[in-house]
Amino acid sequence: MGNTSSLLLREDEIAQIQEKTGFTPNQIERLYSRFTSLDRGNCGTLSREDLLRIPELAINPLGDRIVHAFFQEGTGDSINFLQFMQVLAHFRPIKKNKDLKLNSREQKLKFAFKMYDLDSDGKISRDELLAILQMMVGSNISEEQLTSIAERTIFEADQDGDQMISFAEFCNALERTDVEQKMSIRFLN
Amino acid sequence: MCAVHAARPASTDFGGAAIDGNGGERTEKANGNRGRGGRVIERERNIWLRLIHSARRSTLDWHSPSDRCDVRTSATGTRGNDLPALRTKPRPAPPSGLARFMHCIRVHQSASSTEEPAGGSHKKDHDRYPVFSVEFARVETPFIIGLWIFCASLAKIGFHMTPKLSKMFPESCLLIVVGVVIGVLLFHTSSGVQVSPLTPDTFFLYLLPPIILDAGYFMPNRLFFDHLGTILLFAVVGTIFNAIAIGTSLWAVGQSGLFEFDTPILDMMLFGSLVSAVDPVAVLAVFEEIHVNEILYIVVFGESLLNDAVTVVLYHMFEAYSEMGPANILPVDVASGIASFFVVALGGTVIGVIWGFLTGFVTRFTHQVRVIEPIFIFVMAYLAYLNAEIFHMSGILAITFCGITMKNYVEANISHKSHTTVKYAMKMLSSSCETVIFMFLGVATVNNAHSWNTWFVLLTVLFCTVYRFIGVMILASLANKFRLHQLNGVEKFVMSYGGLRGAVAFALVLLIDKNIVNLQPHFVTTTIAVIYFTVFFQGITIKPLVRILNVKRAEKRKPTMNERIHEKLMDHIMAGLEDVLGRHGNYHVRDRFKRFDTKYIRPWLIRDNKGAEPKILETYSKLTMKEAMEYMRRNASTIAAFPGTESMSTLFRNCTQTNMDARWGSGVRKAQNDDPLFAALAQDSFSFTQLDSSVQNLDMQELEYNPSKKDLTDAKIHHLLSEELCKPRRHRRLSYSRHAVNDRDLSTQEVNYKMHMNMRHIISGKHHHKRSKKLNKEGKPHVSFPGITQNGSVKQFTHDYINEMLEESDSNDVDEARPSTSGLNDGPEGGIVFTAKSTPTNTDEAVVHTEDPHPKDPGKRSSRADSEEEAVHVTPTATETVLPWKRDDEAEQCTFPLKQQEFPGWCSNKEYLAYNSPSSTFLGGLDQPKVASVIGLFRRESTVDQEMARADAAILVIEECPASPVPSAVVCGTPPAPPKRPSSARRGSLLELGASVDPIPEEEAGTPESSANKSPPWAQRRRRKQGACSSSYEDFRSNEVGLLVTCGGPVGRVGGCVVGRGGAALSARAASSESELARDRVSRSVSASAATGNKKRRCRSSSSDAAAAASDRDKETQIGEEQDAGGQRGCHASAQWGSS
Repeated sequence: MGNTSSLLLREDEIAQIQEKTGFTPNQIERLYSRFTSLDRGNCGTLSREDLLRIPELAINPLGDRIVHAFFQEGTGDSINFLQFMQVLAHFRPIKKNKDLKLNSREQKLKFAFKMYDLDSDGKISRDELLAILQMMVGSNISEEQLTSIAERTIFEADQDGDQMISFAEFCNALERTDVEQKMSIRFLN
Repeated sequence: MCAVHAARPASTDFGGAAIDGNGGERTEKANGNRGRGGRVIERERNIWLRLIHSARRSTLDWHSPSDRCDVRTSATGTRGNDLPALRTKPRPAPPSGLARFMHCIRVHQSASSTEEPAGGSHKKDHDRYPVFSVEFARVETPFIIGLWIFCASLAKIGFHMTPKLSKMFPESCLLIVVGVVIGVLLFHTSSGVQVSPLTPDTFFLYLLPPIILDAGYFMPNRLFFDHLGTILLFAVVGTIFNAIAIGTSLWAVGQSGLFEFDTPILDMMLFGSLVSAVDPVAVLAVFEEIHVNEILYIVVFGESLLNDAVTVVLYHMFEAYSEMGPANILPVDVASGIASFFVVALGGTVIGVIWGFLTGFVTRFTHQVRVIEPIFIFVMAYLAYLNAEIFHMSGILAITFCGITMKNYVEANISHKSHTTVKYAMKMLSSSCETVIFMFLGVATVNNAHSWNTWFVLLTVLFCTVYRFIGVMILASLANKFRLHQLNGVEKFVMSYGGLRGAVAFALVLLIDKNIVNLQPHFVTTTIAVIYFTVFFQGITIKPLVRILNVKRAEKRKPTMNERIHEKLMDHIMAGLEDVLGRHGNYHVRDRFKRFDTKYIRPWLIRDNKGAEPKILETYSKLTMKEAMEYMRRNASTIAAFPGTESMSTLFRNCTQTNMDARWGSGVRKAQNDDPLFAALAQDSFSFTQLDSSVQNLDMQELEYNPSKKDLTDAKIHHLLSEELCKPRRHRRLSYSRHAVNDRDLSTQEVNYKMHMNMRHIISGKHHHKRSKKLNKEGKPHVSFPGITQNGSVKQFTHDYINEMLEESDSNDVDEARPSTSGLNDGPEGGIVFTAKSTPTNTDEAVVHTEDPHPKDPGKRSSRADSEEEAVHVTPTATETVLPWKRDDEAEQCTFPLKQQEFPGWCSNKEYLAYNSPSSTFLGGLDQPKVASVIGLFRRESTVDQEMARADAAILVIEECPASPVPSAVVCGTPPAPPKRPSSARRGSLLELGASVDPIPEEEAGTPESSANKSPPWAQRRRRKQGACSSSYEDFRSNEVGLLVTCGGPVGRVGGCVVGRGGAALSARAASSESELARDRVSRSVSASAATGNKKRRCRSSSSDAAAAASDRDKETQIGEEQDAGGQRGCHASAQWGSS
């Protein structure tokens, strides 16, 4: 399970991960080497700091949120390789013949939704949206503009009138977007 | 003769001069000039001569075969020395009929010349001043060009007039047909036309650049770069494969002797290279009509654009090789050919990008002279194209990338009007060029220099199609290995089928020198055949095929705000994930470029840089603009559709004069003093009153206001106008300047955010109504107004404010008069009044908790009120029956029992709750600490933040505690916490605290009681409200006047509106004061039952507009406060950010 600091994965571990995430053994090997290279402490787990040490991620406006997403399901401050892979499995391209639950459209959307949902109450409030917008847009746009943008956005998506975007509303708003494409990465073999 | 030469275009003159300088075209050829320009010159001159000749022939109807022949021979024969003598002196020309005629009509020009041609028999006329003279020759060329464009455009109109034709055939086909028809006509009127006006130089220098610029400038950048790998694969590898395969196949077949002529391998390769290129013009023409999905489109179209470099290089390479002869080709030539590909492609791209940046930089400074903004875009792109052509680089690549590069920066710099200008001018240029190209292609078909070889033609067509298919299939499956989006079979098929050949191939084949490549006539004919086959056969069949194969169609739409933002978010996520994975994929590269762009490029090229995500802002302003426009349009039609319905003036019609005098005489008089307009209004309404007094109720108390649709739209438009249009921000120009465009109000960047709020507010009426219905169905407690069916939504909307206003005055009155009954008050102030009594019990609180099925509803403010309300419904006392706010509901709803109807409509109006409450602004919003709740939450896991959060929570709790000595106060404070997240308040979540910071009226019910403010809050509110009311009244009037002034056109209508609305404001103002009086009276007269209900409603309706205005105003201030709060929050957030 990657809890050991050994650099090699055992066959059964690969099989287990493959079963849970749908990655091919090659991909797992490849990702495992990435995992170990990120793991500075050689402890078989990644901490937030490990991830944030990636320079590009550190300057990504949503870097914090993305890192946070890795740790949402796991417990504590570190994730092991399986958990790491489970998060990544969200981004596997959807294949027609074998569809796993992790990379379905809904899961992808859920991942994006969680980016906004700062307090994880299942709804995007105006303030949450505003906060994310601020992260993305930066400081050049005035608060006033951003606020009205956020309100406009919520108003547009809000269907039940609670001034929040629920996950269902979120999915509706992105109905016509090719989420399957946009939120998939071609993992190298 | 001289006329003919003078009429030649400047470029040709230049070329001709170059030839003369070199002592003839052969010398020039020997100099090894490989350019497109040099070689064509001779041919092109011929063409122009012939074209002009033929045109003149047809225009002037000058029939003389020998003369025609003369001119042609002399034109070609004396080419060497005619140019220097062009305009200085008339050269002795052979006395031909045409020349004589030309002299005849150009008498006054030759008047100064002393030497006359030998055959000049009109000498005697030359010193007389002509009354009338015809001088066609001088304008000949531009005239003919104009004529061509005119004809082509006319033809285009023609197709679209016949929907049957244009539905079946692509436009390009029809244009070619028209071209053929014209060509036949020309051919028969003058047999001299060999090649059409479509010369390689006109094509490459004038006709092609606009089309490619249009393509590049409006290229979906994102899509293009996403698929750049695939596009390049097809453009480079695919084209080379096709060229070589076609060339060698033809050569191989030629070896068998089928063609009956010699087929040297190099010539075949040359032909293969020019005929293999997919043509951007043809592809655009067809693909824009079939609307396939964007990926398919961009791959095919991108390929057709980028393969230009390959085509040009291959073409020149094989041309040079065939000039050298197969024996002389050294390996170094092959190597340099390959190297030159990179030079041509990369050089063109670099030149284009540089010019693109330059354009962005130049437009940075054009804000003072907006009118010339568009010209920079066109001229600089054209310069990029020519610049690349100078160095024999790919001009198509240059202008494409110039367009792609400049777009983002230019669009941010130029004004909205310039943007429109650029867009339309570009579309116009490209579409007319396209039209002309196809037409010329048709004309070019008709000549007598064809050398048709059936086998050659057939096999070429066959090879082109087959190899296209093979190439696409192989390359697509190769590309699929690296692609996220897999190209499926149907897409592959459409891609291969969409490989149309067009005018580029034709222009290239015309460039081939007949003297070097003997098969050139064959090539020309075959190329035309291939073009016809692809454009006609494939172009016509691709539409039904796409339909049959069910190819995913593209949907043209603007992204919504949500899509825009969420897609940006996804980009960031994907970039972040690629970083986590350590891969440098698309997203990573884009992210990196974007960062670089934002940091270094944009500040230099953009005048006022808008920050990291300009697209979000752009989408926002576009949507807002669109909404506003649409709203105006809709309303205009609404107004037009309801001309007969009652307007605000019905309000006055319903008033009796006595009532007006009695009730708001003072107000009216004051208004009359203030404004003559209102004086007129008052007079008007009085007369109305007298007219209708027989029909309408005489008593003011019976007044029923039925706001018609028109009224409501009037009101809405008024708000819109008052926000957007009537602000005195007209800028008077001090000096007149001819070319200045005053686009102060045009810039898209500047959005009136208040207007947006207003729009939202207005539109929200509909949603609100739907919602309320839904809630009712679900059995949730909600007050509905069954009596109102027509445009009930807006009615309810107005009703809310009325209700609120009334309740305000109610509470005031009642509290002063009979404090004991104030608990019955069910208005928004109910809770407040109730706590003023401060006799709640714990049981009451329990009641609230148990029977509150609608916990988000802040209307559940006071338990006591609830219980008493229940009691009221069981046994309504006399006083209660009289109370208008009670009876109103009963009068309307007594038909069926309604549970918990004590909640007024606005309780369930979420829009209203969240933003529109006036009370939250001052009472709720100001004295609350503004905490950066969200960020704290977001980083809740960090212990520091958590501690801070707890500290904040503690502060708030402490604040609340002393202020809530009675349990009910706590109850009042808590209802906002929904049961879905019950722990949110308890766990000290910052969002909860943030919610209490936000001026959401949820705590409007709670905070006034809980705050230690001893002065009765409702009193404050009332005071403020009245202030708002009166000030909004002032607003109204000034706005109306402004409206009247600005919209000078439809004075009658607008004036009517003004009168109506002004009156409404007036009446509303009066009504707000009157409602107290009325209620006093009502409370005294116990017997009045139904009439008072009506009266209540009347009061509401009459004060509706004022209430709406007031609420608008409140909303504005509230927004301001919210923004303030947001700002502070942002500061706080950034501080936290920095500290962590």
